[in-house]
Amino acid sequence: MSEGTALSTRGLIAGYERDLPIVRGIDFDAKPGELVVVLGPNGAGKSTFVKAIAGTVPVFAGRVALGNDNVTQLPAHDKIRRGLAFVPQTENIFATLTILENLELAADILPRHLRRQRIASVEAMFPDLARRPALRAGQLSGGQRQMLAVARALIVDPKVLILDEPSAGLSPRIVGEVFSSLARINQSGVTIILVEQNVKAALAVAHRGVVLVEGQLRHEGPAATLAHDPIIAELYLGVAPALPA
Amino acid sequence: MIAQALMDGLIAGTMIGLGAIGITLTYSILRFANFAHGELISWGAYAALGVSGALATAYAPLAAPIGPFSFGWSLPIGLVASMVLTGLLALLVDVLLFGRLRARKSAVIILVMAGFGAALTLRSLLEFLFTSKPAYFTDALQIAMKLAPGVRATPDQLLSLGVSALLVFAVHLLLTRTAIGRAMRAVSENQQLAALAGVDVRQTIRIVWLLGAALAAVAGVMAGLLVQIRPHMGHDLLLPLFAAAILGGIGSVPGAMLGGLIVGLAEALSVQVIGAEWRAAVAFVILVAVLLLRPRGLFGSAA
Repeated sequence: MSEGTALSTRGLIAGYERDLPIVRGIDFDAKPGELVVVLGPNGAGKSTFVKAIAGTVPVFAGRVALGNDNVTQLPAHDKIRRGLAFVPQTENIFATLTILENLELAADILPRHLRRQRIASVEAMFPDLARRPALRAGQLSGGQRQMLAVARALIVDPKVLILDEPSAGLSPRIVGEVFSSLARINQSGVTIILVEQNVKAALAVAHRGVVLVEGQLRHEGPAATLAHDPIIAELYLGVAPALPA
Repeated sequence: MIAQALMDGLIAGTMIGLGAIGITLTYSILRFANFAHGELISWGAYAALGVSGALATAYAPLAAPIGPFSFGWSLPIGLVASMVLTGLLALLVDVLLFGRLRARKSAVIILVMAGFGAALTLRSLLEFLFTSKPAYFTDALQIAMKLAPGVRATPDQLLSLGVSALLVFAVHLLLTRTAIGRAMRAVSENQQLAALAGVDVRQTIRIVWLLGAALAAVAGVMAGLLVQIRPHMGHDLLLPLFAAAILGGIGSVPGAMLGGLIVGLAEALSVQVIGAEWRAAVAFVILVAVLLLRPRGLFGSAA
């Protein structure tokens, strides 16, 4: 645990099989209000890292702390109650439930008097969703689904929001909308940890970036620096050495 | 004749429907066909028999028939106790058997086979405790009332229909209007995402067992009240139960009840049209036809 961190990991080892961990000893910190992007080549263990933090992949060693609380072995449903929300890359909404039911489900863990208020507050952030509360979520477009998934995660007013590749499969215009939303959410004080393949868009909104390679944290720095770091770009990100601003 | 057969089919169909709701809930959430569900029906009937018998022995006025019905207050009290006891039995089976297999991430076929084993054990235990001799909640005879030309039903039968309709409506409201209902539907669709949304998946699974078993107990008591109580009564209902659940669409409560009614009516009509010896085959034919022609059933989702 580190002082003044919203979320931290120490020596985190995680994966699907104990003998073959995918995340191999990561020390990571995110400060309150920070937007940190987790980068790295395919197979670097980015998704496994954030899933281990969220509690959907087993942690074999090390610790995860939310503020000063050790939440390493808490089940996923307890972590969200403590303010750690996670939006998976795929299957991140309940397609058979309506838009409103998706939001109500997330609000059900709040005290009764707060539920309506939180749903209204999130609907105000995503007016598109508020217009069709009775629509089955399965009928939404890719971008709208992503918005609903983020809205659902925000219902509990999380301290830390983790998103696993929210731009995957979306058109460039929709990606822009998603990242604008994330920037607004971050400005409201929510710490965001973002796993992204869309390096340029992610670094444009992030404060800081970390680069994972083979399950280990190999490099980190301010987003503006990383965006122009030719070695990082060439070695790990698979993009042209000099990223346009 | 046909009108009376429809009435009989309707009554049998509600019993099947109630049992099928439990099957459809456990199937949609736990993703396996629980062949021990029929035994919960039998155990529910015997639990109610035991409790109501004990109450009637302890305080005789509880056995005096209520109004036009054939039973006294000991049976409704026994029914409530039986719903709780059968729910606890289902939880016990889950803790001892299915839960352990889930924790080991066992294949579906292992869970199905375990269900067969549990069914055999529970059925044999009932035979050991109560013998295979039929038992009855009451020995009072009821005169069927004339409802329409050619249609008669006893007060017990009409009460069963009413209670079933009420229970289906209540379960439907539970699933669609309450937090626990939303949690059950979410777990049914995606357990991991449900956990990420704050749903305690293990607790939700326990509630599903309790609910499914409680409804099975009601079906068992109805079957016992309208026909007789035997250790094999639930096992004999298993095929119609699965036919109803699959016909209605896995996960759909109204579908399970409608499926139950269709199976019950088809069985009753088959007696009139093609002969009583074919009655048992009707559910099988419906099951095969649905699986071949519309595997997702009447109200099931395409996924």
